[in-house]
Amino acid sequence: MNWEVRTMRSKISFFNGTLFRKNLTRFWPLWGGASFLGALFPLALWLNISRGDSFYQRTPLEYTSAYYSILTEIVPIICLLYAILCAMAVWSYLYNARSVGMLHTLPIRREGLFAANFLSGMAMMLIPYAVTGALCVLVSVLYGNFEPAGLFTTILGVLGLSFFYFASATCVAFVTGNLLALPVLYFLLHFLAAALEWILTELASCFLVGVNAFYTGASDVLSPTIHFLRHLGVDRTYEEVERISSNGYHYTDSVLTAVRLENFWIIGVYALVGAALAAIALALYRRRRSESAGDVVAVGWMKPLFRYGLAATAALVGGRALYALFWEDSFQNGSYAEALPMAVCMAVAGVIGYYIASMLLAKSLKVFRGSWIGAGAVLVACAALCAVLRFDLLGIESRVPEAGTFTDVRLYAADNSYTLCTGEDDALISDVLALHRAVIHEAERLRDTSWRHETTEDGKLLYARTYMTLTYTLENGREVRRSYDLPLTKERMAEEGTYEQLLDQLVNQQVMKEKRLHLNDSRYTVSGGSLWRYTPDGAGDEGFDLNSREAKTILEAVGQDVQSGNWGDVTWFDSDRDSAYALELSLYFDRREENSRVPASDQISITVRPKMVHTLDCLDALGLIDRNELFTWGQLDAYNDAEVQYTEMAVPVEEMKR
Amino acid sequence: MIEVKSAVKRFDGFAALDGASLTVPAGSVYGLVGPNGAGKSTVIRCLTGVYRQDEGAVQIGGADVWENAALKARVAAIPDDWYYFLQATVRDMMRFYRGFYPSFSMERYEKLKEVFSIDEKKTIRRLSKGMQKQVAFWLALSCMPDYLILDEPVDGLDPVMRRQVWSLVMGDVAQRGTTVLVSSHNLRELEDVCDHVGIMDHGKVLLERSLAQLQDNMVKLQVVFPDGMTEVPAELPVLHASRIGRIHTLIMRMNAEEATAKLSTYNPLLVDAVPLTLEEIFIYELGGADYAVKDIVL
Repeated sequence: MNWEVRTMRSKISFFNGTLFRKNLTRFWPLWGGASFLGALFPLALWLNISRGDSFYQRTPLEYTSAYYSILTEIVPIICLLYAILCAMAVWSYLYNARSVGMLHTLPIRREGLFAANFLSGMAMMLIPYAVTGALCVLVSVLYGNFEPAGLFTTILGVLGLSFFYFASATCVAFVTGNLLALPVLYFLLHFLAAALEWILTELASCFLVGVNAFYTGASDVLSPTIHFLRHLGVDRTYEEVERISSNGYHYTDSVLTAVRLENFWIIGVYALVGAALAAIALALYRRRRSESAGDVVAVGWMKPLFRYGLAATAALVGGRALYALFWEDSFQNGSYAEALPMAVCMAVAGVIGYYIASMLLAKSLKVFRGSWIGAGAVLVACAALCAVLRFDLLGIESRVPEAGTFTDVRLYAADNSYTLCTGEDDALISDVLALHRAVIHEAERLRDTSWRHETTEDGKLLYARTYMTLTYTLENGREVRRSYDLPLTKERMAEEGTYEQLLDQLVNQQVMKEKRLHLNDSRYTVSGGSLWRYTPDGAGDEGFDLNSREAKTILEAVGQDVQSGNWGDVTWFDSDRDSAYALELSLYFDRREENSRVPASDQISITVRPKMVHTLDCLDALGLIDRNELFTWGQLDAYNDAEVQYTEMAVPVEEMKR
Repeated sequence: MIEVKSAVKRFDGFAALDGASLTVPAGSVYGLVGPNGAGKSTVIRCLTGVYRQDEGAVQIGGADVWENAALKARVAAIPDDWYYFLQATVRDMMRFYRGFYPSFSMERYEKLKEVFSIDEKKTIRRLSKGMQKQVAFWLALSCMPDYLILDEPVDGLDPVMRRQVWSLVMGDVAQRGTTVLVSSHNLRELEDVCDHVGIMDHGKVLLERSLAQLQDNMVKLQVVFPDGMTEVPAELPVLHASRIGRIHTLIMRMNAEEATAKLSTYNPLLVDAVPLTLEEIFIYELGGADYAVKDIVL
């Protein structure tokens, strides 16, 4: 038989079953261990149900709800961690000269090696889910809770997530030639965008007034796990049902009536991204040089990217840490940074990062000769970045969006939040913009944070303090967010055009008080609430969850107090300790509006004062308070102080009441 | 036929192959020799499809080797550091190779089991280095290759097993016309099995000839010059000269007749042509390429 005939046999193809099986048999402890861990959950479920534990005796819809919760909250994290282990197993041969030599000598094209290894890796990803899922189905079938539609959706989701994560790990596997570098690069790339956003805003917050280190989520599409956890969700609809307990008490129960996966399509999109990443991985493999085994970066054009990327990360993270160590009395104390020391710290850390990257790439410590140009570039970049931020050359600090360029602005001030929409609240938005400009006008004054510690001769703080946050949603969907820590004085409050006066005028308008309660706004429905009642000795402390009807009744009462002028004035210089009852009353709202960026829920904390007669009457009528058993915060403070001073002489509660 | 044409392979700017060319005639045993770092293993990795040459061509049977699965199915290779899976037994590796090589012969595998006498259920990792090498031969020969590429193949084998292995290889060459390319530093052994030899240095093949041609191209002469003539005449084209008493040993790049004729003009008292070993050819050829044993006094 000549060789042409022999080589026509199916063993030479784009897939090799032997390699597929070999991977599964070689790495069985990995998928076997994961399957065992997964199987513990349905086993526990079965034991609990068979024991008669009512917690586990759920309706099919509640099982679907549980499947969806696991899919949206747990599966992304498991896939993130497990995919890299599977990728490290099946692609490990690439990182050793002997193994890569053997595999590449075999009569199979790289496409074939890729397909066999990729599919075996995917099989290793899915076997534990299949085992766990099959056992769960078995248990639910046994107990009549099987719900195929929810299960099918969950299986699709698991497939999509597994494919995406394994494809992304595979893509990274072809970027590097070092087994230890693979997980490092994988996790780095998965969280790079989010980390960079936080690091950059943190650095910017060291120089720019109003900029705080926070994560907007604008770039979380590049950090898939964060994106999944933020955007995948379960929408559950409950119906309140009146029930009577066995001992005759009436109570309200919530019954799940519908479950829907929110943004399930995201998994589909990322599965497509996974397909693209797998294609990129294959393209990289076809061009990969076997001799790159052992290299930290196996793709030639990515080496400068790695070198300068590591230098930049070291400059941002290490530089900030060095500055905190040598110049700050405590990390993130809210004071602003000095540009020159920060530039020096960043440059030192950046150059160290540059040389570490060079050493990793060269696999040698002798990298100093001829590398001063690169190190110099890092130095210049660090100095330039500090200068740009300190002198606000990009206009970040002074930026106030023009009216009409944003769809809404969310204002947080005096412990309340307001959402003002363009076209609905234009007059209020105009006031907000004026306030924002007034704050920026005094940015240099705010940069000096020593006012926070200035006191009068008797030790009292010289300034009242309030926090204000402005979040603009721009037309393109992006957000501009600024937060200010503002000192307030009575003198400036009386002065025309100061931010103190503008803030006071804005917040204490009648329309803003109504906005706080979402009165006359049909988009909001009050969904519930809570009330905590405190007593001096703590014995009578009690908390209540309010159902929607109770919350609605209370809201109407508070609204009547707003109309009669008995609620809503923000008092900047009083602590409210003596004029407010020791009650924590909160109301929760749902906002139903399609395609809205405004948060779907809201909450308000209501300070209850003696003059709020409608509210107090309502709480009394609902049986939540006893008018004769109410104390102010000041009374509670006095009781606590007395208890501290005379630990052996308890102050009688009756005396406190008098 | 195996052909490497002006192959260049660089690693971080260093040219491990710098225009290397060699031709292995079909059915021949070709010995590739050269000093350490000459580029022998790089040529072999190019021939087995592990490395892709930057320039030039690497072909077997007239077809490019790179990503040519059909061609690679006819090629078996034993590298100097043969790889096996960590927990694999001989039988596991046999199943693995059988899944890739369509021509893998179980009949031959069973026959070779008698030759190598290794417990096929034993983990390869637990075997000695020499036994691991035997396993490599066992599996490679079971693939029934048309081309066999060997890098330091008998390192670690005892003398009896060396003979056994070479006998099996020679049997394949004789019966199946297998073409063999073997890289080794054991020139004495190569001399016995090779019919063609290529000498590599600095990424180039300096010369390649059949062994007979190679031996015919260089001659070692023992000469006794007449009285009064103590030194070798400067005009003689001598590669290397040494002297013990009155006997001069001369290495000359020409055949024996030609050298005897040249020496006859000096009326030597004795001229005796002695055949060169491959080791001597290697040393004197590379001596011209600035690679010779240096007389260093420590």
